[in-house]
Amino acid sequence: MIKLSDVSVVYRKGEENEKCALKNATLQISQGDFVIIVGPNGAGKSTLMKVLLCELAPTVGTYYLNGKSMRGFSVTQVARWVGRVFQDPNSGIFPDLSILENLSIASKKGVRWLRFRSCPQKAVSLLSLLGLGLEKNLNTRAGDLSGGQKQALAMIMAIISDPKVLLLDEHTASLDPKSSVKVMELTRQINEQFGITVVMITHNMPFAEQYGNRKWKIEEGEVYEYEYRPPVCLTRSENPFPLVGDQRRCAPKCV
Amino acid sequence: MLGIVEQGLILGLMSIGVFISFRIVNMADLTVDGTFALGGALCVRLFSLGLNAPVSLLLSLLAGAGAGILTGFLHRKLKINVLLAGILVMTMLYSINLRIMNGPNLPIPKTSVSASLGTFEQVAGKDPLADLFEPSAPAAAPQKEIAKHRTFENIFLGTADGQDLLLLSAIVLICVALTGLFLRTELGTALRGFGTNPSGLESFGLPKTLMTLLGLGLANAFVSLSGGIFALYSGFADVTMGQGMIVTGLAVVMLGEILFVRRKLVYGIFAPILGGIVYQGILAVVMRYGYRIGFRASDMKLLTALFIVAVIGFGLIQTKKRMKGKFRLSTIFGGGVGRD
Repeated sequence: MIKLSDVSVVYRKGEENEKCALKNATLQISQGDFVIIVGPNGAGKSTLMKVLLCELAPTVGTYYLNGKSMRGFSVTQVARWVGRVFQDPNSGIFPDLSILENLSIASKKGVRWLRFRSCPQKAVSLLSLLGLGLEKNLNTRAGDLSGGQKQALAMIMAIISDPKVLLLDEHTASLDPKSSVKVMELTRQINEQFGITVVMITHNMPFAEQYGNRKWKIEEGEVYEYEYRPPVCLTRSENPFPLVGDQRRCAPKCV
Repeated sequence: MLGIVEQGLILGLMSIGVFISFRIVNMADLTVDGTFALGGALCVRLFSLGLNAPVSLLLSLLAGAGAGILTGFLHRKLKINVLLAGILVMTMLYSINLRIMNGPNLPIPKTSVSASLGTFEQVAGKDPLADLFEPSAPAAAPQKEIAKHRTFENIFLGTADGQDLLLLSAIVLICVALTGLFLRTELGTALRGFGTNPSGLESFGLPKTLMTLLGLGLANAFVSLSGGIFALYSGFADVTMGQGMIVTGLAVVMLGEILFVRRKLVYGIFAPILGGIVYQGILAVVMRYGYRIGFRASDMKLLTALFIVAVIGFGLIQTKKRMKGKFRLSTIFGGGVGRD
């Protein structure tokens, strides 16, 4: 699904303070994988994430998504296949808009036209999976939610339009421990029940040990895998549960 | 009194543009000073050339949108700071407006253009001194163009019988309704989302450039339209008519928000309209009675700028107080909807 072929990223190339943030990374992520990436600050984790989001083009090497080279693709183009949630709870939502309006924006990818906005039932059903009661307060301003609720809403928004991959960059870093656990359980649900591939950066070692089937470590720009287990989730074609299908069988845990 | 409301409505219409750029798109766009004059200049010029008022206004609106799009383009594509991009376009528009009017100002012709207003050459088709040295040169046929009569009259009568007020109210209501409907669409909602989280919108496949161009184009379209209306209403366009409009517009937006904070009608678009009327009322009072305490009409810009400083300062104090209140609430009741 995702393949990095000998990818290197060099900042300020040719200048005195040139820095190689990613060195010859050759990686492969299969559908349904839950990849955990750990490493110290400045090791190149966020650079890798930027490459996956097409925010940064590799200096050398190629990034493939679904067998297609992503060279020349922009963030908005790659958004069709990739959802993302970052550390700041306000970065994944639109704080001044209501929950309904947030879901309405997220339920579609690409250019919008002059059709009156609507919130698909799928979005509300997904929201109800959280068990936070947000679906009953759709007109609440998203900025008025707590940090954990914002992050959960951001994750739901990121997966509404059925992306292939969900990229998470320290998405629990600014949450309290209780909220972090809830958000991590939601992450697990998204991966295992919906079959969405998850790539997650974290500094939280207990989470890194507890979650994910593939563990990567980045040190000074070099990536290596230190643990692998087969993915828990079923592949999408085998998955008997559609994204929002039989919710009894999905058995969502209270998040 | 009617005049105050009428001028307030025009000011309110202009402030909707400022509201869109500052509040919805969240960009400090200074093109406004130029586009207001552009609207006026172009509208009067087109009207003088024989186009009817609605078409002149529509073309002014489109020109304003174009100026806003240019600012957005400079900001996004050439990576120029939005403030500087606005100033650059405003400066360009100063020269363009002078060109459009062929001078620093242009009045609306009160009577229709007739042959009697033409020069001797235009009417007679020959130079008056042509016969002086060359005997009996045959006269050219009189030019046909000047025989055309402009049949369109100004839509604003200036009769103070309420007709102008009715027309202005209708224009403003149509603009507010259309903007309100637009903001309810998928594109409008995305535009509101862009103002609150531009990078977030990219992750849903909407490019920042498109939303910037749309937001600034829409904002300046309103400003230009109000410039055109102001020119038709007052009977002239002047190259300096947009001077300080951004500050006035901001003051009107803030005044409207303070006075009507609890009623966020049509996404808050009504606030600038009501703010414009109140602002114009204050202006009228200051100009009528202010001299008793030493005020001059020219002091109004100073007062307007000080008002904005005061509102921002007051808002900051209120925010700090609210944050303290929130902290207390969350400490007592714990997390939950409505608390950070």
